[in-house]
Amino acid sequence: MTGLGEQIMFWILAPISVLGALGLIFAKKAVHAALGMALVMINLGIFYIAQEADFLGIIQIFVYTGAVMMLFLFVLMLVGVDSSDSLVETLKGQKWAGALLILGLAALLFTAIGRAQFGPMKGLSSVNESTGNVSGVADLIFGKYVWTFEITSALLITAALGAMVLAHRERIGAKPSQRAWSERRILENRNVAGLPAPGVYARSNAVDTPALLPDGTPSELSVSRVLTAREQNVAPARHIESEHDIEHEIEEGSQR
Amino acid sequence: MPAMTVLSAPALATAFKPADVDYSAIAPMLIVIAGALIGVLVEAFAPRRHRHVIQVSLALVSLVAAFVVLVTVSADEAHRGGTLAQAVIIDGPALFLQGAILLMAALGVLTMAEKFGGQGADAFTPMGAAVPGSPHEAAALRAGLATSEVFPLTLFSVVGMLLFPAAGDLLTMFVALEVLSLPLYLLCGLARRRRLLSQEASLKYFLLGAFSSAFFLFGAALLYGYAGSLYLADIATAVRAANGALEGLLLPGVVLVLVGLLFKVGAVPFHSWTPDVYQGAPTPVTGFMAACTKVAAFGAILRVVYVGVEANRWDWRGGVIAVAALTMVVGAVLSVTQTDVKRLLAYSSIAHAGFILVAVLAFDRTGVSGTMFYLVAYGFTTIAGFAVVSLVRQGGSEASHLSQWAGLGRNHPVVAGVFAFLLLAFAGIPLTSGFAAKYAAFAPAISFGGRSGVALVIIGVLCSVITAFVYVRLIVLMYFTEPPAGEVVVAETASPFTTVAITIGTLVTLVLGILPAQVLDLAERSSQFLVK
Repeated sequence: MTGLGEQIMFWILAPISVLGALGLIFAKKAVHAALGMALVMINLGIFYIAQEADFLGIIQIFVYTGAVMMLFLFVLMLVGVDSSDSLVETLKGQKWAGALLILGLAALLFTAIGRAQFGPMKGLSSVNESTGNVSGVADLIFGKYVWTFEITSALLITAALGAMVLAHRERIGAKPSQRAWSERRILENRNVAGLPAPGVYARSNAVDTPALLPDGTPSELSVSRVLTAREQNVAPARHIESEHDIEHEIEEGSQR
Repeated sequence: MPAMTVLSAPALATAFKPADVDYSAIAPMLIVIAGALIGVLVEAFAPRRHRHVIQVSLALVSLVAAFVVLVTVSADEAHRGGTLAQAVIIDGPALFLQGAILLMAALGVLTMAEKFGGQGADAFTPMGAAVPGSPHEAAALRAGLATSEVFPLTLFSVVGMLLFPAAGDLLTMFVALEVLSLPLYLLCGLARRRRLLSQEASLKYFLLGAFSSAFFLFGAALLYGYAGSLYLADIATAVRAANGALEGLLLPGVVLVLVGLLFKVGAVPFHSWTPDVYQGAPTPVTGFMAACTKVAAFGAILRVVYVGVEANRWDWRGGVIAVAALTMVVGAVLSVTQTDVKRLLAYSSIAHAGFILVAVLAFDRTGVSGTMFYLVAYGFTTIAGFAVVSLVRQGGSEASHLSQWAGLGRNHPVVAGVFAFLLLAFAGIPLTSGFAAKYAAFAPAISFGGRSGVALVIIGVLCSVITAFVYVRLIVLMYFTEPPAGEVVVAETASPFTTVAITIGTLVTLVLGILPAQVLDLAERSSQFLVK
């Protein structure tokens, strides 16, 4: 039997994990999905610890949540900044059909698996006493499952090789120097003086505020295209709007 | 001096027992792994202009060496049985299928090595990371870059394929499934031409493959819950002992594991990836994938079905029979409407998966040998077939649309003739391996499959007629239709590599058609599964 504390913990954490898992599926932004997954993994780690698999639980939190998921976030930040997912459905009604099939499968599995009656729980305490928790895991990895463990290395090498093949862009030819850039600008006669700097206003000189052209329109060239894609630019309109008030205040001040 | 503190580990009740390893039995796998690892090092250290030659020879040498070792080891009965704590079971079917995979993979590497006078392998993009159609890609092409990483990736995939039919427990089988799939996902996305199509194929294959792996894993977990062990031998014992309380876990477990495996062979309704991936992948990779993945995946299906869960087959047999029938019908009927050679061959491969399932469902030793013979016959024909497809060009890129093949027989009688012969083998015309294979697959179904076996064979024969119509139509197109106006479709002059691959594939197709007895006999002698 599970203890009362464990039951309370389960009934608090299980819904949270389910919410995290649902967030992973339904979140619109990839970062939110990754955070949802991290939540699920932390909860899994806690469950493992509660079930006396201390080592596994700690590793789950340290390695999966701490290292792997954070790497995941880094990759998202590096890669996914200005690519946006198209959420247009190419197959009409596939969401509904999919939902219906999911419900059907879930019903089938629940009824089939629900019939099973499990015996009394064994727990890990006997194993922990006889072989120890960490050495028990080591025993399995280097004893019974040594081949699985070794062959997994092929998987990791493949993954690393694949990442290189698909993502490593080798530079062909020399990197253009600053001089080359400037010569090219002058030859092309475009932006000869360099790109405009981001907005310098009385109130803001941040990189996310586009510069204003003489006719008052913001210049797209002055801000990073990544910020534009993320829609994180500040519209300079509010600075223009406040201009009148500022001038008014200055006038008032000089009249005093 | 500070006192030294001695840390002593608490004495453990049970001493560590390392797994027994029969190194000769797993030597073929170790050789291929070593080849792949050296290949990775070659990528890192060898100068670029030598890499293609080194990689191709390394891949070929390791595959052939592994085959030689496999043959030597298989002669000694002492190396049969489970090794590595029963994670790997080396028995007749495992050895037969491993040998077939090694030979086919060698042919596949030969076709991948084709350069057509260029600087790198012709089928693969010079740089996978360059945006398709960008100046960067063109520059990479001019600079003579090449993705010679495809050869170590192929070897890694072969490692997974060798392990897949020999896995003694579901965990090893799952890892083998991933080891064989992951390199294939990558290889699919590296085509030199029509790269967007290729990348789409890769992504599709990856997502659907991951989905099916999840099914397999879920099923394995349920079977573990049922039997308390992941070993197929223990699962078989548990199934026979029939534990009533846990009965609910068994059928979902079996079904989900089978779903994961049937996905890999492209059985309907888990086939939707096949046409897109076969079309998008570089043609030599398609050939390699079609032949070798099928062998490995059917090997795993045979082991799960015959060793693991055979005892309750009456519960799930109906479902697999339906899948087999659907696979044959859908594959055959949809191949009629195809306008692309690679898609046509993809639907034909779906139909063939159905024919092989008929043999699997016989539940007899002859069913095992029939399946294995069919896999060998189909595999060699397929690799040669896709190699021929990769030769036919229009304006430098592959002429895969059917209309481009019109009149090919007039300008290139040899290429068209070989392809026509291979198509006849797909159709199962006598004197080709296809006929012998169909006979070997259908005979056990009639003898041991009962009423459903006979029904399946009738469906199979009808579907063979439909597919034969498709192939004959293509042959007529090649010989009796005027070539299209415009740029001429040419068959490139193949290098010795591709020529050897096509020649061997065609010869095997011919020899297995005329004198199938020896290979059939070998398949029969190696059709006994060992449990431990």
